[in-house]
Amino acid sequence: MIYLDWAATAPPDRECLDVALNTAVETFGNPSSLHTPGKKAASVLIESRKAISRILDCASSQVIFTSGGSESNNIIISSLLLKGKAGSVVVSAMEHSSIHKPVGLLKQRGWEVRWIKPGADGLIDSADVASKVDETTALVAIIHTNNETGAVQPIVEIVEAVRKRSTVIGHPVHIHIDAVQSFGKIEVNIAALGVDSASFSGHKLGGPRGVGILFLKKSIPVLYRGGGQETALRPGTENLPAVTALVRAATKGVTSLQEHYDYAYSLKQRLVKGLSSVPSVHFIPDRDVVLQKSYSPYILTISFPPIPAEVLQRVLNDRGVAVSTGSACASKKHRISHVLSAMGTPEETAFSAIRVSWGKTTTEEDIDIFLKILSEEVGKMISIFR
Amino acid sequence: MKTLFLIKIGEISLKGGNRSFFEKKLKENIKNRFRGIPVTVKNRRGRFYVETEEQFAPLVQEGLSQVFGIVSFARSFEVEKNMESIRKVSCRLAGEAARQGAGTFKVEARRSDKNFPFNSMEICREIGHDVLEAIPALSVDVHKPEWQLNIEIRDRVYLYGRQIKGPGGLPVSSAGRGILLLSGGIDSPVAGYLMAKRGLKLDAVYFHTYPYTSDEAKQKVIDLSRILAPYLAGLNLFIVPFTEPQLAIKKKGPEAEVTILMRIAMMRIAQALAHQRNAGAIVTGEALSQVASQTTESIRVTGSFTDLPVFRPLIGMDKEEIIAIARKIGTFETSILPHDDCCTLFAPKRPVTRPKYEATREHYKELCLDEMLEKALNDAERVYSRVENLEK
Repeated sequence: MIYLDWAATAPPDRECLDVALNTAVETFGNPSSLHTPGKKAASVLIESRKAISRILDCASSQVIFTSGGSESNNIIISSLLLKGKAGSVVVSAMEHSSIHKPVGLLKQRGWEVRWIKPGADGLIDSADVASKVDETTALVAIIHTNNETGAVQPIVEIVEAVRKRSTVIGHPVHIHIDAVQSFGKIEVNIAALGVDSASFSGHKLGGPRGVGILFLKKSIPVLYRGGGQETALRPGTENLPAVTALVRAATKGVTSLQEHYDYAYSLKQRLVKGLSSVPSVHFIPDRDVVLQKSYSPYILTISFPPIPAEVLQRVLNDRGVAVSTGSACASKKHRISHVLSAMGTPEETAFSAIRVSWGKTTTEEDIDIFLKILSEEVGKMISIFR
Repeated sequence: MKTLFLIKIGEISLKGGNRSFFEKKLKENIKNRFRGIPVTVKNRRGRFYVETEEQFAPLVQEGLSQVFGIVSFARSFEVEKNMESIRKVSCRLAGEAARQGAGTFKVEARRSDKNFPFNSMEICREIGHDVLEAIPALSVDVHKPEWQLNIEIRDRVYLYGRQIKGPGGLPVSSAGRGILLLSGGIDSPVAGYLMAKRGLKLDAVYFHTYPYTSDEAKQKVIDLSRILAPYLAGLNLFIVPFTEPQLAIKKKGPEAEVTILMRIAMMRIAQALAHQRNAGAIVTGEALSQVASQTTESIRVTGSFTDLPVFRPLIGMDKEEIIAIARKIGTFETSILPHDDCCTLFAPKRPVTRPKYEATREHYKELCLDEMLEKALNDAERVYSRVENLEK
């Protein structure tokens, strides 16, 4: 199988799983226990937190281990439910569902949701974000690297604009980013970005499932109550095996970040070049921009209208290539990705969109085989539907 | 301990000379429904009696409510043929009913054994009086009783209280065999249910257009046939690989007629399957004018490609009425799962709603699909869903 769905989950890095197994066996104590095995586990936990804080360039007290990106995002959004009065949130219209859906819950509870639409290039405008912030605004949430288009938002600019606006109106605003698709792949320096919180996940870069990180500059009220772990923000006995594996995956990721980045970029170039001769291909966003620096070199979305993405994905799967799609035939109506709708992608193009994502062990040959198979299958189907 | 169910059969008892034929089918169907559990089925003078071990009673109760031909049934008690025994059990049943909240009651007696020394009126009066004395919480209401005690004096004496509604209709297989066009939608399972209710034994056919329809869509149809099987006394589903004919129609047929031409091809396969399976009818879930291929003109064209009667039990129904039945028989939740046929790909943007009879027939013939359809039917996969459901 040629696996081109790394943005869904990366193939596990055996070394990280070995770390997890080792921790599970050797350091099985509960970090809250006061005996020797407990203390040993507590010290491993402290070291793990420090390691992550060095990678993110933040204080170790600002690192909260969670069960993954979705939980990290939910902690931030659900925190607002504890505020006495509903206000407004400013959210990009192309968030992952773990932001998009909790925000819907806020809306039900009387919050005003101000969506920020990206341009056709999948990027949002910092001035647009700032202009939507007022004295009712509690939170700005922006996805750092979009999981469908790979668009990397200009977070530094956005933070600067929002902070400036915040000073003018004399009202502090919490800025959250979802950096799940960036972690270990694209540089994320928390100090440089200046955000208040950020979400990360372990399994997108070869770590295990069920572990993630929430960077949190200052403590916030949360809905969870329990044994006080993770500074009471995320109670529950710590998943130490997964945490140590995550640390290993993240360390490996950042150590070779540039090398992997360059390699991934070369694969993307190869892909874009090869795709250009496949009939009916549409790049989302346009071919002219996808190779620019403001897009992840690990993700590409393409479309072959009128072939439904669901069908193309199935055919590719049968020929040994795994890709993904956010669109489907649902009850005779087209269900299309909210990210692509927000970008104003024409319905037919969005309905046919597949996402290709790769990683450090993807080879040039994988890309070439994919291109060959894709070209054959699209060629066959296009002749039928044209 | 044994549990006895007494079963009333309604319409079958009106069947005059053919009555024994219907009764025999019903008996077979009840026996098959409970294959694998200890059940005896007896048929005496217009009543069926099903006896089982107490532990299986809930399973049997559920099963009986799915066997067509049964109008109602009740958990019954066989007692000795004397007033003292009747009195004893009547008071016990009345006590239970009162504990479950009944406040008023009535006694209904039928005496088909005229040798019994009391007539129906006398039995009602006597037993009613005894119950009133024994159970002070109960009072008599002969018009709208909250609980009714039934006493039947036959070769033996049977007592029963609450009656449970059966599905009615006629025993499956008493009206021959039919081929049901089953899709993953809401309508066709309901059509199958309704025709089985009139005694038709069904085989189902599903047209699978992989990769344009997903394996999940196929699984959904298999799941639907499993839900239907207890009502249909078991169900053979024939999954016909339909991609090749579908593509041929898309490629060669006039754009606006793609859907109706596809329906004709399906009808042709159903007809061929009917011949193979010795079936005398085709069943579809069409409702008049619901979609382009279900207008009067379209139905005329598709129907003209088979010499078998095409039963369309939903033809005059609204969607709400169909959904209500789908909910009742438990297919609705599965039918609305999102794995739909990806027919958006094949459906024309502006489908013809009033096909010209001669022209469309001609267009279909020009496609020369016969050989392809024959091959498709030969390659069909058969999935059998058993009638009995002993998993619970």
